[in-house]
Amino acid sequence: MKKQHIKDMIFRIAPIVGLLILFALFMVFAVIKDINIPYSMKNILNQSVIVIVVATGAIFIYTLGSFDISLGANMCVSALIGAMAYNRTGSVLVMLGACVLCAVLISLVCSVLASVFHLPVFVTTIAMLSLLNAGVLMLIGANGTGDIVQVPADAVSAINTVEFKLLVLCLYLAVCIFVFNFLKLGREEKFVGGNPECARLTGLNNSRLAILAFIMAGIGVGLGSFLTITYAPTLSRNTASSVGMDVIISIVFGGMPVSGGARSKIYSAVVGALSMTLLSQIMLMLNLNSGISQMVKAIIFILVVYISMSDNKKNNLPR
Amino acid sequence: MSKGKRLAGTLAIPVIACIVTNVICLAKGVPMFETGLNWLTFVRAIANVSLVTYALSINLNSGRFDFSVGSIALLASVLSASISVKYGLHPAVMLVLSLLFGLILGFISGLIYITVKLPPMIVSLGVALLYEGIAYTLTGGHGVSFVNNKELLGFASVPNYLLIIVIALVCVVVIFDHTTFGYDYKALISGQRVAVNTGINEKKNALICYTIAGGLMGVQGFISATTTGSIQMALNFGSIAPMFMAFLPMFIGGYIGRYSNDKLGYLLGAVSMAFVSMLYVRLMVNSSVQQVVSALLLVGFLIFLNNEGRIKGLLHPKHEN
Amino acid sequence: MKSLKKFLVLLLSVFMVLGLAGCSGKGEESGSKGIDNMKNVKIGVLVADATGAEALAFRSYYENYIQKQYNVTFMYSDELADAAAESSAIDNFIANNCKAIISFASADRPAQIRKCAENKVYYAVATGTLSDDEYAEFKDNEYYVGAIGPDLYTEFQAGYNMAKYYLDQGKTKFAIFGGATPYYVDMHIYRTAGMLVAMCEAGNGDYNGAKDFGSMIGTIYGMNCQLTPAQIGSVELVSYVGGYDFDDAWFGKLAEAANNPNVEVLLAVGSGLDTFAAFKRPDQALGTVDSYTADAVKAMEAGTLNYLAGKFSASIGPIFMATVSAVQGKPIRTANGEALALSQGYWVATSAEEANNYFTVDSSTTDPAYTKAMLDKLYGASYDDFAKFVGAYSYEEIQNLKK
Repeated sequence: MKKQHIKDMIFRIAPIVGLLILFALFMVFAVIKDINIPYSMKNILNQSVIVIVVATGAIFIYTLGSFDISLGANMCVSALIGAMAYNRTGSVLVMLGACVLCAVLISLVCSVLASVFHLPVFVTTIAMLSLLNAGVLMLIGANGTGDIVQVPADAVSAINTVEFKLLVLCLYLAVCIFVFNFLKLGREEKFVGGNPECARLTGLNNSRLAILAFIMAGIGVGLGSFLTITYAPTLSRNTASSVGMDVIISIVFGGMPVSGGARSKIYSAVVGALSMTLLSQIMLMLNLNSGISQMVKAIIFILVVYISMSDNKKNNLPR
Repeated sequence: MSKGKRLAGTLAIPVIACIVTNVICLAKGVPMFETGLNWLTFVRAIANVSLVTYALSINLNSGRFDFSVGSIALLASVLSASISVKYGLHPAVMLVLSLLFGLILGFISGLIYITVKLPPMIVSLGVALLYEGIAYTLTGGHGVSFVNNKELLGFASVPNYLLIIVIALVCVVVIFDHTTFGYDYKALISGQRVAVNTGINEKKNALICYTIAGGLMGVQGFISATTTGSIQMALNFGSIAPMFMAFLPMFIGGYIGRYSNDKLGYLLGAVSMAFVSMLYVRLMVNSSVQQVVSALLLVGFLIFLNNEGRIKGLLHPKHEN
Repeated sequence: MKSLKKFLVLLLSVFMVLGLAGCSGKGEESGSKGIDNMKNVKIGVLVADATGAEALAFRSYYENYIQKQYNVTFMYSDELADAAAESSAIDNFIANNCKAIISFASADRPAQIRKCAENKVYYAVATGTLSDDEYAEFKDNEYYVGAIGPDLYTEFQAGYNMAKYYLDQGKTKFAIFGGATPYYVDMHIYRTAGMLVAMCEAGNGDYNGAKDFGSMIGTIYGMNCQLTPAQIGSVELVSYVGGYDFDDAWFGKLAEAANNPNVEVLLAVGSGLDTFAAFKRPDQALGTVDSYTADAVKAMEAGTLNYLAGKFSASIGPIFMATVSAVQGKPIRTANGEALALSQGYWVATSAEEANNYFTVDSSTTDPAYTKAMLDKLYGASYDDFAKFVGAYSYEEIQNLKK
């Protein structure tokens, strides 16, 4: 029993240990390569923060045992709407509001479609992905000439600081941790993710929980799109195109079970996104070619996730 | 269920797709099938979509989501095309090589899954990155081009594609509906734990599923490559796109499966989608509109599928006496 | 299983340590300020395309020729899809002590330049140029080295010349592959506009009311970059396909456009070999903007391709020298101290022999178009000498320079 407890503990802390190992390796490489370590630290935070915010929100969806493949497209549309709102009003606050509102609305449409019409959530997000991608082209076309929608760099330069991003991240993380760990919603979500049928029979409204999960994720996407504009105020059809997959990879890398349930952890996104950024930085220092770098990343990804998540005691294969 | 009802249920969707798309084309003054090229495009679309749909559904029906199918098609076609171009092989040999490499890559993917026992979605993410990286490294990022090889490009013909379609259908029907493996596969879908407890070797079954899916994607990669004579590289999950074309036919196939056979359903789903593709082609619909229409079709069909009872109730209200 | 896990942990550790051992880069050497004795200079390269033939040819020139000739280390970014990715990549390069950045990525060039200048890192545009407004903003910035490459008018001209080549032969029925035009990519829009203007001139007609450079660009944007076939006087744009969807419908559209019996000439703003070539009928002609590859040469020999306008890979040699000169404190500026803004056009081949000559030089890693001996002359050169060298970019002129 004690042995099992220790083993569980090891599984729980493995992603964090993985992060620490990657950090140690990064530091070793950084010293050998004589890189600018303070700038690198700032850079790692800058590159991780958006994925952390979006992925932390997405954990509410993952906890239910579902996942949303349209997060990147949602972020692109929200960022475009936010930028257009700024260009109309000149207000950063309006831009923030537009980003969050748009992202939450899109998430709501997705979840309401799924619950009202009894559709599988994941499939709804696939359809949403196509719709949003088409929407991006239309928004860019509607904005006039050129392939971009731009907010003046001066307008956001004051808030394009690590401090501001950390503030946004900490506030959102605090809210998510509170909701996830201390409110009924988090517990109910874990219950539904662990055993949806049982949860339904005990009277839990799965549709309501799905809608709430998507709202939380939508807020994350909205904040992510706002931070994207502050970091790079020129938006195109490719904005946030990699975020969808980055979020999935980060969450998994952070030790979050994709089946959701009781073992879901709200901090997975933080650990996973930082780990992925550190790994990318190490690859860059090694200056490998794109193909080899991707192969190495893939192998490390599978090995790390295997060490931290695999449960060999199970007789059945995981699904 | 009566034979008539089964036939109607089986053919309803492709027939509706055929009628609607043809009527729209005719209304615009463009007949859907005017030249041999139109038929070639139509049959190629059926072959492509049906192969991806079989490959994706084999694992998805078992709750295994596979992001790596596109990367298998990519790497299998890179390997087979490189060898075929280098040694001047016949397209039939390239097809066999694509199939073999697909089977091997699928087998490796399955082997990783049953060894590491991680959720299949995670494994498939790693495998997709790995295969994309290998393909890129093998070709130095250039991909493979054989646009001047008329023999390989000459494979593209209606009879050849029809042959692939028929062989693929027969294979999946025989393997999944008429073998012990197929019965085990269905048992594992219905109740994983019970099936395992009754002695079914789940690992072996999963490994075979991944291998077959890989083989199908190898053939799909071959069709893609011989369409344009070039294989473009993909990095950072750029290879997952083909997966998305399979969802709607897969759901259509699931619906048709109630009336006949789900594999036949996937094929008829692919036929329905090929009609829609032909509509886009003949009317030169731009890609934004295409994306919106495809998404609405997917959502619309799913709404119908999941609310069939209610919709029928609304259409045929029962009179209470 | 337990032992397997232990083994994998060990494997992972060994892998990392091996990587660590093998990662020692070129040491920094001290020396004089001469180009052959300079300290190792790390240069970051921003790329928006990691798989295109042209991008790979450029990369090969830097990594397989320049890096072997000069004491420099190139660090390449991943494929950069948007402005945020560009910004991150620049941060990565700055953290890795790159002294300069050469950019092939254009999602937000002003932001790239600002970030480099703030961090005292030299910045250069490898292919393409800044817009007039952008140049006015940055021309006096000491960290902005400049830009060498086809400007948008050169892109327009490339499309115009290609269409005119066939129009002069009396061809009147065309199909166009517009590449990334539906995604509002300027380079492709301008090439398409060039083709259409040439058709308007030859056919004595107009395309949706436009017939010259300015109005054509406006018309294309006015159509949301979704072009349609049209009769242009006596010339006809029989079919048009844009985008890179890679789905069955897209392949079908390409086949329809190319195989149309009414079409005499297929024109592609890019990727003509990967799009139209497989579908074209033997009696049709095909022209494209692309790079000089072995496949392109074979296609010209086979008659599949008849006109090829391509950038030569060594065209990025001069901007490398300008960048290194700036890093070494010998910047090349105009008489007014402004950054470089030089245009360079395409090598155009209309026969297999020409294409083969270009390819032979272009793909060489020992004797490329611009060799070390030629580039050395540009180190700290005067603006006039530099501009003259860059301006003589045709194949024949470069061969003469070599002598």
